[in-house]
Amino acid sequence: MPRYAFDYPSRSDSEARAMDDLFGLLEEHQIPHELRQHFALAVSEAFTNALVHGNRRQAEKIIHLEVEINDDLLSADITDEGSGGLDRIANRSTAGLLAEGGRGIDLIRHYTDASFSETPNGGLRVTIVMNRKSNVAN
Amino acid sequence: MNISMREENGIALLSLSGRLDLASGTALKEQVKKLFANNMNSIHLNLAEVEFINSSGLGAMVSIMKETRMRKGRLTLSNLATYVQEIFEITQLSHIFEIFPTEEEAVSSFSTVHAG
Repeated sequence: MPRYAFDYPSRSDSEARAMDDLFGLLEEHQIPHELRQHFALAVSEAFTNALVHGNRRQAEKIIHLEVEINDDLLSADITDEGSGGLDRIANRSTAGLLAEGGRGIDLIRHYTDASFSETPNGGLRVTIVMNRKSNVAN
Repeated sequence: MNISMREENGIALLSLSGRLDLASGTALKEQVKKLFANNMNSIHLNLAEVEFINSSGLGAMVSIMKETRMRKGRLTLSNLATYVQEIFEITQLSHIFEIFPTEEEAVSSFSTVHAG
């Protein structure tokens, strides 16, 4: 089954590059629009979390993205090189309505089956899975 | 993301197109900061051409809304695609933003508020 891997430096322009790469893959595999938007949103949130909170925008630190697309599932692993990955998730506070941040993880959980794990070096790995069959196609 | 701007009756009308994310959200805030510097505190964002938005883009709009309120101005939004509207509802931001179906309705609301 097709699996794709990408590495990005932790710069603010990397998010747009990652989304270009991801949307390109989803288009190539003719993933329906709504499913594509929801999956891309979840990946984007995990990517931003890795960039800002994991790697703290240190360009030399890499964000690793792996995407798998098969007939049943869309899945992605987003891994950073930060530290205390799981503690960051456990200790996050809920965003108030007027907060400018803090909604990303909730959006990932709303749209996907997501799990969080830690690399041996303490980086956070977010695994996002969407069932192609149970999500509405349009 | 591209931002085009025009002014109508003292309201800055910004049309956004493309993806509204971390980098473009920052660019949008910078653009609006210039408007504030010129005492333009009535701002409308037309999102008709926004094809993707994430929480960073939402955060940028929350930041702009708070600044307009602090300046006794208003921020309105219009033409949200179904997908974008859905994200506003999930995050409950639909409760705190003034969202109109069309730009015309949003612009009219400024006159109504001023007249009232």
